[in-house]
Amino acid sequence: MGRLARWRGAALTFSAALIAALTLIAVIMLSLDKAPLAAAQRFIEGAIGTPSARADVVMAALPMLLCAAGLLLTFTAGLWNIGVEGQVTMGAIFATIIARTIPRDVSDWGIFAALIVPTELLLAMLGGALWAGAAALLKIRGGINEIFGGVALNFFSVNILLSLVNGPWRVGTFPQTAPFAPAALLPRQPELRLSPLGIGIALAAFGAVFMALRSTRFGLQLRAIGRNARSAGILGVRVERNIFWAMVICGALAGLAGAFQALFTRGRLLPNISGGVGFMGVLIVLLTGVRAAWVLPVTLFFAVVPIGSLKLATSLDSAVQIDATLGNVFQGALVLAVLIGSGVRARLAARRERRSEHG
Amino acid sequence: MHVELRHITKTFGSVRANDALSLEFAEGRIYALLGENGAGKSTLMKILSGYQPPDSGTILIDGQVVTFQTPADALRCGIGMLHQDPLDVPNLTVLDNFMLGRREGLLPKRNAAREALAQQAGRLGFQLDPFRYVDSLTIGERQQLEIVRLLSLGARLLILDEPTTGISAEQKHALFSALKRLAAQEGMTIILVSHKLEDVAALCDEVYVLRGGKLVGHCQMPTPIEALVTLMFGQSLPRPTRSAHALGEEILRAEAVSLTARRLTVRDLSLSVRSGEVIGLAGLDGSGQSDFLRACAGLQALNSGRILLAGMPIHGKRYPELLRLGVAYAPSGRLEEGLVDGLTLTEHFALTAGNGVWINWRGAATLAAEQIARYNIRGAPHSPVQTLSGGNQQRALIALLPKNLRLLLLEDPTRGLDVESTAWVWQQLLARRDQGAAILFTSPDLDEIVTYSDRVLVFCEGKATLVTDLDDPSRNPVERLGELIGGKGFGGKDSWVAWRGGAAPR
Repeated sequence: MGRLARWRGAALTFSAALIAALTLIAVIMLSLDKAPLAAAQRFIEGAIGTPSARADVVMAALPMLLCAAGLLLTFTAGLWNIGVEGQVTMGAIFATIIARTIPRDVSDWGIFAALIVPTELLLAMLGGALWAGAAALLKIRGGINEIFGGVALNFFSVNILLSLVNGPWRVGTFPQTAPFAPAALLPRQPELRLSPLGIGIALAAFGAVFMALRSTRFGLQLRAIGRNARSAGILGVRVERNIFWAMVICGALAGLAGAFQALFTRGRLLPNISGGVGFMGVLIVLLTGVRAAWVLPVTLFFAVVPIGSLKLATSLDSAVQIDATLGNVFQGALVLAVLIGSGVRARLAARRERRSEHG
Repeated sequence: MHVELRHITKTFGSVRANDALSLEFAEGRIYALLGENGAGKSTLMKILSGYQPPDSGTILIDGQVVTFQTPADALRCGIGMLHQDPLDVPNLTVLDNFMLGRREGLLPKRNAAREALAQQAGRLGFQLDPFRYVDSLTIGERQQLEIVRLLSLGARLLILDEPTTGISAEQKHALFSALKRLAAQEGMTIILVSHKLEDVAALCDEVYVLRGGKLVGHCQMPTPIEALVTLMFGQSLPRPTRSAHALGEEILRAEAVSLTARRLTVRDLSLSVRSGEVIGLAGLDGSGQSDFLRACAGLQALNSGRILLAGMPIHGKRYPELLRLGVAYAPSGRLEEGLVDGLTLTEHFALTAGNGVWINWRGAATLAAEQIARYNIRGAPHSPVQTLSGGNQQRALIALLPKNLRLLLLEDPTRGLDVESTAWVWQQLLARRDQGAAILFTSPDLDEIVTYSDRVLVFCEGKATLVTDLDDPSRNPVERLGELIGGKGFGGKDSWVAWRGGAAPR
């Protein structure tokens, strides 16, 4: 099959899946006496109708892009890094270690003021990398599947987060820290909620992963490991070392995503700080079939959904007002529909091949 | 059951794998399907067993035209195929595997199945423990399980693809007598797909020979082996002869090594190997030869003792480190541990050549093209390795070996290869030896071990005995090794001759 035909097939599958997912949402809305078409219009306007909405979409996409970039490495090596959520959470916690101590006025810090955000980000990467490294060592040294290790470490990280925001770091009546000082936050443009530094970091990280997979020995070794770790070892690949570094790099990127959530999206540390961006990254990479080139557009698409649903949720018009979690339903339904569509397509292709062999 | 194939044709791309083949298989007879790699044997048997449909031509069972969509259809018509690598579920027990594919209700009847298993196995003289896990069985035992399973599902025609590869002499003996009994007493039809002419001579009544997708011969046994070789290749191949060569300094030294093999522990193994030496490791399947190879490659731990590479203990070093020190290990399962399914030849060469961070794809493609030409691999740089035939996969593995090797550890290097490919592989390996590499290899084929080894290490019941005087003209070397391998448990020379299928000892 030619490259063009494959692209056309993938595009067809995606469109069919999109229609199926939209139909499901429409059915749900109709059953709740809502107006799907009006809601769709409001959704699109709300998500991409204004410059500020578009800026919100871009900023919402960044943590997902960072997670998806890291997960491209681990999925390529055949690792299901489900622990990515915990790595995001630990990143947010580690960034907060510094962020909560920064005073409102840092005018007399001089050059050190410029080091605040980089230090926070590095610390966040360290936090995520530690958590991922733990899962990797459990797998390599302890023979514990990275899924089980990841789930356990996710549980740990959530409880560490809760005990911190309920205990020593709590400020005020709610379980959360005080808002961080402006100097501790990711610098942003005042008119739009947009951070050029954040965009630059996320795109650079994604670009680096893209290049690593495409043209470095590390990327090829990860592919070999993902296909057949035993053979890769016999061909001279250091399997355990590569698995370790793939996990650690993914953890560092997830930690960075956690820092973005704390230092930009929320501006403080609070429960559920990750907001599910790690799992969203898993969905994105699954949806693209671990193809790096598709990750960027799919991530933007995935970022549109929560922004648009939030606009629906806060709408005063009761005909379109609906809970924002419907956006998550839509994303989940879309991923399932694409996976089913790919399966059906593979089966049809096999049947076609058989038939052409007959004829 | 009388099976007839009429004008079967199958084309893959530009290759005509089967060209209007017409063969007949009568009830109660044992047939051999002979031919070198790529002659079309596997394709034809896959068509007969329902794995793929022919482009044209028909299959008749007792005069009725049949078509198969799946292997299950073929099995329902009584045609069962035993694959070279048994298709079973390793992490289930023997009994569970036996019960798979039986058409029963929601609740399987384990006791009835156990009795059926014991009865079928007993009838054939196989000993199968129903509660052992399949991954702890030898290839030979897994084959026995698969045969019992196929028979219990109603197979009346059994196709065996290279069944004697990787099984022990005892198992081969048991297999052949069971097959003969099935044909003679129960009227089963047996088709043996093989390269091994001795097996064919020992077992079969009739032989079909394929070459280049065409039927080139149909003979009644006994037919002289030379005549069969001529049919297969168009001319007889001379046996390679051993030449004298100089030995260098010591490369490998094993001191009082003890290690655990699948079923037994090998104790007190000592060996010194010098550069330019070829050591054959002989023994029944699972006696510790493969485990010793893996231990030398740093892939398996020792219980005690130590292994030194050029005077340096390898303890604690992993295989990739040893590979950089000039030790290469090539396992027998090429796609399981050796080549990476899904990567192309170019990607394999990129993976093994060079060390930099960046990959020079153009350079890798050039290298792949060079190696493909030099090693005569039938494939392109962009061919995924799983699309190559077994012989070409072996060529690719040899092409991937690093340049400056000091020690080559090979597990059954010519597994499943025809005579010509085997000769080619050894030509390459001996060239490495002449450059100063030492070679340790295992093989179930004693002729191969005797032909290529300078010394032989025989593994038997936990002991490893070194045989140095293979050239002693007063004794037949193959026979002598056979006695050593047999040990007490094997019954000495008589069974040995039985294993060799009555072929005259040289």
